[in-house]
Amino acid sequence: MTTTTLPRPASKDSSPSKWKDIRKQLPNYLFILPHFFFFTVFLIYPIFRGMQISLFDWKIMLKEQHFIGLANFEALLKDKVFWQIMRQTGVFMVYTVVVNVILSLLVATGLKHPFFGSNFLRVLFYAPAILSVSVLGIVGIRVWDTQLGIINYFFTTLLGGPRIAWLGTPSNVIPVLAVTTVWWTFGFPMLVFIAGLQNIPDHLYEAAKIDGANPVQTFRFITIPLIMPTMLFVVVTQFIAHMQVFAQPYIISGGGPGNASRTAVMLLYETAWKFFRFGYASAIAVVLAAVMIVVTVILFGVMRRRTQY
Amino acid sequence: MDTTAAPVGKSQFVRGVQKNIYRSVFLWLLFLPLAIVVIIPLLYETSMAFTLEANQLNFPIEWIPHPISISNFSHIFADTTLPIIRWFGNSLLVAIVGTVIVVFLSTLSGYAFARLEFPGRSALFSILLFSLMIPAAVTLIPSFLLLRDFKLLDTYAAIWLPAAATVTGIFLMRQHFYSIPNELEDAARVDGAGRFRIYWQVCLPLVRGAMVALSIFTFLGLWNDLFWPLIVLSNRETLTLPVGLLVIQQGSYIQRGLAFSGAFIASAPALLFYAIFQNKIIAGITTTGMAGQ
Repeated sequence: MTTTTLPRPASKDSSPSKWKDIRKQLPNYLFILPHFFFFTVFLIYPIFRGMQISLFDWKIMLKEQHFIGLANFEALLKDKVFWQIMRQTGVFMVYTVVVNVILSLLVATGLKHPFFGSNFLRVLFYAPAILSVSVLGIVGIRVWDTQLGIINYFFTTLLGGPRIAWLGTPSNVIPVLAVTTVWWTFGFPMLVFIAGLQNIPDHLYEAAKIDGANPVQTFRFITIPLIMPTMLFVVVTQFIAHMQVFAQPYIISGGGPGNASRTAVMLLYETAWKFFRFGYASAIAVVLAAVMIVVTVILFGVMRRRTQY
Repeated sequence: MDTTAAPVGKSQFVRGVQKNIYRSVFLWLLFLPLAIVVIIPLLYETSMAFTLEANQLNFPIEWIPHPISISNFSHIFADTTLPIIRWFGNSLLVAIVGTVIVVFLSTLSGYAFARLEFPGRSALFSILLFSLMIPAAVTLIPSFLLLRDFKLLDTYAAIWLPAAATVTGIFLMRQHFYSIPNELEDAARVDGAGRFRIYWQVCLPLVRGAMVALSIFTFLGLWNDLFWPLIVLSNRETLTLPVGLLVIQQGSYIQRGLAFSGAFIASAPALLFYAIFQNKIIAGITTTGMAGQ
């Protein structure tokens, strides 16, 4: 991190002039003050407040909240449904992130160099990401519908396959939501990968070509190692986004059948805003956040190591 | 691709063009299935929005509705319990004001972290960086209770104020403020300009590209967001469009066409906006994406 951007060298010798420097710098805080105010009130404070609320049997109607220590966490750890939901959220996240990363990297490799219509394809592939998740939901319900959906229209009516209840079968619903999410989101990592690939110097590819490397070898030994920094960014942001999935299951499958597609944030939402158990919901948030922070740190560790070549 | 300036061997030029054509055809064969998968749901949504309610269940699917009808739209506009034009306006208001707030605060902070000195600068910046690791899920309940205590629920301040806390814009702007040469600032300082004027009149115009990119993303993010408005808005008149669509969706088990036309009203302007500004948007993502590193 560069620390000096001003040309004026800070004088270190005499303390009065150093003090004068600092006084001169005081108005600079005004630049960051407006954001820091909101940052503190709506980000820093809520983090600690959330941890505090998780120690209460917090009911929104009550005047005085009842402190119960770690009871929410004890109940949560014993709650089989919660762990089922955490597991299925993880499964959804893994499907979505893995398919998104592989698909978008392959597509980016194809679109890296311009060809006839390549710009059109780029624009088209990012287009679904422009849609609101509500639109995605409305279209998604009808696309996957057992009787009238277009998936079964192609799969059953035109190809003669069995009529599958995509959203009505517990084992299908999470993969279906993952596919829907990939359709909606793969354009973003694709664009980021294209930018990353264009930063890889061409002479490396030329050298590989001279050495007689085939395209698969080139991809494996040049593209993959050199794209790792971009990969780290994509994987971490995708992980954070999809682990907190809410609207796709909320609109498309309603969390069902049973609890088969309920996700962690959906459970949090319902616990807080349907059943008004804010303490318990805060405990869910804290556990989810803890799990996510641990995984993020691990991801950074693993991928950083693989970046050093 | 350097295929020009070849008076030496014309055949080489022709070969180059030929190779290009083969490459294009090959890549198109590869990408065509994906392109179809991307287009079909969008096409389906559009067709169904213009399909009569009575024909919604027709099999096989009518990709070009017969007849093309706007009756779903007239139904939705006639239904006073679904004030979709109002929702549209609400969403515009929420997105525009929110974008102005976020972009202004991000440039102020980004400028300070890139070009101004003050004690604790790098420590404060590290706090911003670390906050990226905290999932938004933990802030939901406390922010909601805070807004309730301030009696701000069901107002748009409940959306704007938490949005003002975002940090990603600061990283983007900081990155771009770095690249401004010191001489420009020095010259302004010699001319007697104060620090705010240097920021506003000298530096801000030089990062206009990044500001446009940040504006577009912030706008689209606010325009499309469902989760937070769903939590803080409850009065039907004040809803934003994504929440309104949910209302239509939940009430539309019988009227399928209504939900499709609602979805069309929400998505068509966004896609049009995207089609017009696609260059800026795609260039913006590539720079923002890189800024994240």
